[in-house]
Amino acid sequence: MTPLERAEAKFGWKLVAPTILILGLLILYPLMYNVYLSFFDVQLNGYKTFVGFENYMKLLSNTDYYSAIGTTSLYLLGTVVGTTLLGLAMALLLKEPFKGRGLVNAAIMLPYVAPVISVVFGWQFLFDPISGVVNYLFVDVLGVWSERTNLIGNPDSALWVVVLFDIWKHAPIAYLLILSKLVSISGDQYEAAAIDGYGPVGRFFHVTLPELYFVLATVVLLRLIWNLNRFEDVYLLAPNVQTLPIFTYYQAFTGVIDQGLAAATSVIQLAVLSVFIWFYIKKIMKW
Amino acid sequence: MAAITLKNIIKSYDKTQVVKGIDLAIEDGEFVVLVGPSGCGKSTTLRMIAGLEQPTSGDIIIGDRVVNDIEPQDRNIAMVFQNYALYPHKSVKENIVFALRRLKVDNEEIERRLSEISEMLQLEELLDRKPADLSGGQRQRVAMGRAIIREADVFLFDEPLSNLDSKLRSHMRTEIGKIHNKFGRTSVYVTHDQVEAMTLADKVVVLHDGYIAQSGTPMEIYLNPTNIFVAQFIGSPSMNIIEGTLFNDYLDIDGYHLPREQLSNVVYQASIPDSGLKVKVGIRPDFFNDKAFFSETEAAFNFTNLTIDLIEPMGFDKEILFNLAGGSVKARLDLRSEIKRGGEIDLLVDLSRVLIFDYQTEQRL
Repeated sequence: MTPLERAEAKFGWKLVAPTILILGLLILYPLMYNVYLSFFDVQLNGYKTFVGFENYMKLLSNTDYYSAIGTTSLYLLGTVVGTTLLGLAMALLLKEPFKGRGLVNAAIMLPYVAPVISVVFGWQFLFDPISGVVNYLFVDVLGVWSERTNLIGNPDSALWVVVLFDIWKHAPIAYLLILSKLVSISGDQYEAAAIDGYGPVGRFFHVTLPELYFVLATVVLLRLIWNLNRFEDVYLLAPNVQTLPIFTYYQAFTGVIDQGLAAATSVIQLAVLSVFIWFYIKKIMKW
Repeated sequence: MAAITLKNIIKSYDKTQVVKGIDLAIEDGEFVVLVGPSGCGKSTTLRMIAGLEQPTSGDIIIGDRVVNDIEPQDRNIAMVFQNYALYPHKSVKENIVFALRRLKVDNEEIERRLSEISEMLQLEELLDRKPADLSGGQRQRVAMGRAIIREADVFLFDEPLSNLDSKLRSHMRTEIGKIHNKFGRTSVYVTHDQVEAMTLADKVVVLHDGYIAQSGTPMEIYLNPTNIFVAQFIGSPSMNIIEGTLFNDYLDIDGYHLPREQLSNVVYQASIPDSGLKVKVGIRPDFFNDKAFFSETEAAFNFTNLTIDLIEPMGFDKEILFNLAGGSVKARLDLRSEIKRGGEIDLLVDLSRVLIFDYQTEQRL
């Protein structure tokens, strides 16, 4: 480094120091405190007893924990694949300008901007076993099912309702991200591919997909991070679906309250997520 | 290999007609250059041959098929785009062989053609690179390679050299000429550069405002333009247009009387009023010669005592400007002429090279 560069770097550190300090207080301190708590048996009155790795041992021998991991995996798979594919499909369909595209765009964005709590009640009403339209449609009109079922009441089917809800609510952001890249792909690449003998399908795989690679990878990454930590959508719509955040919440704040155990859960989750994101960014996004 | 025929091609966007009725026959193996100023419809015409645009009316025939409703991928054509349109995520090699992969050519054949083409275009060292790592000239060569390797029926070039600097441009122009000589494919080449048109073409088609202004061999177009637009568009520096009056015995330019019987390119038959016929006279700067170095022959006319307004030395040539019939006229002389600004000079003009055009319609008389 030249002296000038060194001075610049020093100045740069001075400029970002306040931000680092605030972020440190707001994020790093709770994070470290969480790691610290995970090694203690925490009483509600604040008394803490050091227990070493006991919380972790307890967690890893709990079958409910593994079932929560299984549920989370299914939830992630369903939501990430679903939102990405639906977003891609919508973006491809709505790429070319047409009359009224603004309105259609607004309609597509609506679920994303609507407050969770209001749309959750709407969805619960849709799936209501007695007066809900879903049961009416599938039982009375189409006759696919023989009897009315409480899809949200049963944890197995509730998982898929939650997945569906997430796809419906978050496909718009995938659509938006993909569309913004899609419209910037230069037309002459498609023309060159057409001249080279490739039809619409070939052009999609050889021009569109490679161009979308990074934006698709970004969508997948964002969806994974968001949904691994997603609490409110799942808990509000179907509290019986125990994904990891819900599981942690039940550990920490309901029944036999065990904050040490809950802390251990989130530490493991953070560690897994960090390793996963590091790998993903290095290998898939090639940063 | 295929001939191309365009029959009364019209192309409109909304209400604007861009191509206004083009009839053109391109023979098998012929190199045709479409040339004209921007907005003349040349690129649109090329894109219609490629199938990237649909003609509003008229027929396009490649070989023995009417291809109006055939998609570009099924026309067996190759094209070089102005900005090359390389696939940014594919290596140079994959860019070049992309079309062959579609055609399911076997790997051995692909490698054979690839090595032949990459040697010819000096791309051997670059095959593993991505387009972003190449210079403009290298990208241009990759685009050429991609087109050649197909061995397609028809080659289309859409201003392929316009993004290169002038030295590279003239080099690649020569290369394109060589490639055409080697493969002999039917080629259609669009450019606004009249030098490319002159040097490459078997046939030059000058387009103006959606119509064909003239088509013919480069020398026909150069020596016998049918209107002032073509006369001035082809040739550099462009043709001087001077006002004159045609009489039965002579052509009057600013008091100089050019004898009519020696104007062998003026074949005006209709009767001329006694007061004369106002015309525009076209003389290329190249057809003026310094009298000091040329003996006066029968067919030459001597413009005497011209005052030199400006001299532009170009190295071997020098261009001089002088005033004639109220307009500024340019002549190109060689380096031997010893002249200076404000001095006087006598210039000889070969009378058989003098053209006259109708004053109003600007068509040849």
